[in-house]
Amino acid sequence: MDLTSANTAIVLDSTADFPDAQERFPNWRVVPLYVNFGGESYRDGVDMTAEEFYRRLPSADPMPTTSQPTPADFAAAYAGLGGYDRILAITIAARLSGTFQSAGLAADERVRTIDSETASAAIAMLALAIQRRLDRGTTDEEVDALVERYTRGHGLLFTVDTLEFLARGGRIGRAKAFAGELLNVKPILSIRDGEVVPVKRVRGNRKAFQEFVDALESQTADGPDLRVGIAHADAPERMAELARMVRDLRPQATIEIETSLGAVIGTHAGPGTVGLFWFAGE
Amino acid sequence: MNLNGDVEVLQKIVDGALASLEASRQRIDDLNVYPVPDGDTGTNLTLTVRALADAVEQTSAASRQSLARDVARGALMGARGNSGVIFSQIVRGAADVLGETDGPRIDARAAALALRGASDAAYRAVRRPVEGTMLSVIRELAEEAEQRALEGPALGELLLELVRRGEIAVARTPEQLQVLRDAGVVDAGGAGLLELVRGVAATVTGEPLPAPPPREEPLGVESIHRELSPYRYCTVFLVEGRDLDRDALELGLERLGDSLLVVGDRNALKVHVHTDDPGAALSLGTDAGTIDGVEIANMHEQTQERTERLLTAVPDLATTGVVAVVAGAGNRRLFEQLAEGMGPIAIVEGGQTMNPSTADLIAAVESLGSHEAILLPNNTNVVLAAEHAAANAGRPVEVVASGSIPAGLAAMVAYDGTRPAAENAAEMREAVAAVATGEVTVASRDIALAGVDIRNGEWLGLADGTPVAGGSDFDDVAFAVVEKLVAGHHDLLTLLEGGDAPALDALVDRISAAHPDLDVDVQKGGQPHYALLLSAE
Repeated sequence: MDLTSANTAIVLDSTADFPDAQERFPNWRVVPLYVNFGGESYRDGVDMTAEEFYRRLPSADPMPTTSQPTPADFAAAYAGLGGYDRILAITIAARLSGTFQSAGLAADERVRTIDSETASAAIAMLALAIQRRLDRGTTDEEVDALVERYTRGHGLLFTVDTLEFLARGGRIGRAKAFAGELLNVKPILSIRDGEVVPVKRVRGNRKAFQEFVDALESQTADGPDLRVGIAHADAPERMAELARMVRDLRPQATIEIETSLGAVIGTHAGPGTVGLFWFAGE
Repeated sequence: MNLNGDVEVLQKIVDGALASLEASRQRIDDLNVYPVPDGDTGTNLTLTVRALADAVEQTSAASRQSLARDVARGALMGARGNSGVIFSQIVRGAADVLGETDGPRIDARAAALALRGASDAAYRAVRRPVEGTMLSVIRELAEEAEQRALEGPALGELLLELVRRGEIAVARTPEQLQVLRDAGVVDAGGAGLLELVRGVAATVTGEPLPAPPPREEPLGVESIHRELSPYRYCTVFLVEGRDLDRDALELGLERLGDSLLVVGDRNALKVHVHTDDPGAALSLGTDAGTIDGVEIANMHEQTQERTERLLTAVPDLATTGVVAVVAGAGNRRLFEQLAEGMGPIAIVEGGQTMNPSTADLIAAVESLGSHEAILLPNNTNVVLAAEHAAANAGRPVEVVASGSIPAGLAAMVAYDGTRPAAENAAEMREAVAAVATGEVTVASRDIALAGVDIRNGEWLGLADGTPVAGGSDFDDVAFAVVEKLVAGHHDLLTLLEGGDAPALDALVDRISAAHPDLDVDVQKGGQPHYALLLSAE
C-alpha cells in the first residue's frame, strides 16, 4: 500500500513534547499522559501547559506523579481519525512507560504501533522524518527501515540539575550512581535501547555544556541533512545557549525543534534539564 | 483437646519461620513494587510474624482451640502493611482449622485442610483479589497440599514439596501481574510467604535453613519503575466493639483511598488504607467502635528513604576500588562523596609532611575488598611509595600520579568502580592532565622570584609547582595564581579552603568580576599547610 499524508495519520503521545502537532499537520494527533498533583489529575499539555507545571512544581507537596494514557484514550484518538486507512502510533520508549502498551491495546487493524525507544523531542523528530516521507509518498517497508535507522542512529544527550527526579520516578536506570551534589557533579545522560544510561559525569554547568559541544563535534558532520532538536525544563537560557552553539558549529543544520519539556517528562527529569537531539538523514 | 506441648512445638515453628524471613527481609523490601512501591513488604511481614511469635510466647491458652484463637488474634493485632494484614488472615484461616483438630500430631491431611482454610480466608480479606500476589501463592500451596495429601506423605515430606511448589508459584508471579513483569521482579509478599514456608519446613524436618538467595543483581532501580501511590499516608488501626459491621466500614473507607483491607471479626477489625486523610479514616473507626493501635506512616518518606538507599548502594560487582591519600576532613568528605555509588574507597591520612608508608597503602588496598585498585597519591612526595605499593599489592593496582588534592578530585570524577583498574586509570590520567593546579602557602624561606623578593613568612603562590606570586596580601597572591591557571582552562575553578585560610569572599568576588563565565566552586578542604588549593579545568 502507498502511504501518503492523505491516507496515513500519525498519533504521538504527549511525551514527544510537540504540543502544536495538530495545528501543524492535519493528519497528526497527540494523546496526553496524565500528571497528578495530589488528588488532581491533569492531561499533559491540555489541562496543564509546561509553563503552569514549572510554576506549580516548587510548591508541590507531594511531588507530582504521572500516569500513562488509558487504552480508551488511544481508542478515542484512533476513532477520531476515521478518514485515514493507516495510523502510525509512535510512543515513548516502552521501557520508560506503559504508554506503548496502551496504544497497542487500543489498536485496530489500521493501527501500527511504533516503540520509538526514546523520549521527548527525539520522538517528534522521528515523526517529522516519517511525515516527510508521507508527503512524497512512501511504503510500510520504507517506514520500517527509517524507524530502524532512527532508533539506532539518532543522537540524544541530556543533563539534569539533580538526579532526584529521575530516581523518584524509577527512571534512572544504571545512572543511579551518578550523584555527587557537594561538588556540583552534573550527570551527562543518554537513552539507549529505551533506557536512561550514564555517559559521563562532569563538574559544573560550563563543563556540561562542553560535553554537548564535544558530542556534536565528534558525532555529526555539518550538512543540510543534519537535523537538531533542543528541549529544556524551565531553563530557556540554556536552550538559547545550545541553539547558538549548534548554529555556530553546524551552520547548515536545521534546528527543527526548540521546545519546553512538558509536565510528564518534567516530572521525571526536573527543572534545569536540557537535552540535545540530532539525526543525520533526510 | 489438651495442649500436650503444642505451645512449645508452635514456638519452634514460628521461630524457624521468622528466622527464614528475616534472612531475606531486605531482599523482599527491594522487590516491593505492588500495590505500592514503598519497599517495606519484608519489614512489614517480619514485624507481623514477630507479633505472632510474641502472642505464642504470652499465651495462657489451656486448649488447642483457644491457642488457635490467641495466635490468630496476635497476628491480626500486630499486622503491618498490606502484606501483613493478608498474612494475618492466612494465619487465621489455618488456625481456625488446626484449632479444631485432635490427635497428638498434625499430619499431612490436616496441613492440607489448614492451607485451604488459609487460602480461602486470604481471598475473603481482599475486596478485589489480584493474581500474581501472595494470594496466588497461598492458593497454589493449598492445591499442592491437597493433591499430595492423598498419597499420605509425612508432614516433613509434604512441606518440602510445598517449598518446591512455592518457588514455582513465586517465579510465576511476573507472568500473572504486569506491574511485576515491567519491573522485572517477583511479588514481594509471595516471596515472603515462601520464606516463611521454607522456615517451617526446615524446623519440622530438622534440616538447616538453606542460605537465603542472594539479593537480585542487578538490583534495578527499574524495580521501582512505577508511578507512586497517589495517596500519602499508610494508615493502620484496630477497631474494637460489638457486632462490628465490616462491610459498612469498608464501604466508608473505600471513598478515602486505596489499598484497602478491613479484616477481622465482629469484635475486632483491622483496617489498612492508603489515604490523604487519615483523620477521616480514624473518624469512621471511632463511629464504629473504639480504636487502638493507630499507625500512620508517610509513604512518601518511605519512598524517599528507599530511593536514597538505592542511590547510595555500592554496586556489588565493584571491580575496582580507590585508595586516596588525603589531608583535611573536608577534602576527605569530597573524595568519599565522589566514590559514593561508584565503588569502595579507602582514605589514607597524609600529604605534604605526613607521607604514608608503602605498607600503609598496601593495607588500604587490601581493605577495599575489590579485585583491583587505583592509587591516588595526591602529592608528588607520595608517588614513589604508591608505585611500590602497586608493585607489591598482589593484585592489579594502577597509580594515577595525581600531584595534588584538586588533581585527585578531578580524577575521581572519572572513576567508575564497575570497570577494570586499567580502564579507569586511562580516563583518570586524562582528567588529571586536563586540570591546572595551584596553591597558596606561607613561604618558609626567602625566595627571589622574577625580580620580586618573597620573604620568609609571606604568602607564596604556585601554579603547577612553579612560584608565580608572593607578598603580604593574600588576595593579591591568590588572584595572581588564579590568573595563571585560568589562562588555559576556563570552565571551572575549584578553591579548597585550608584549615587556617583567611576569608575568601572578597577573592571570590574579584574572580567572578574578572571572569563572569567561569563556574567557581568553593569548598572547605580543611587541609593543613596550604591556605588555598586551586584547580582550573
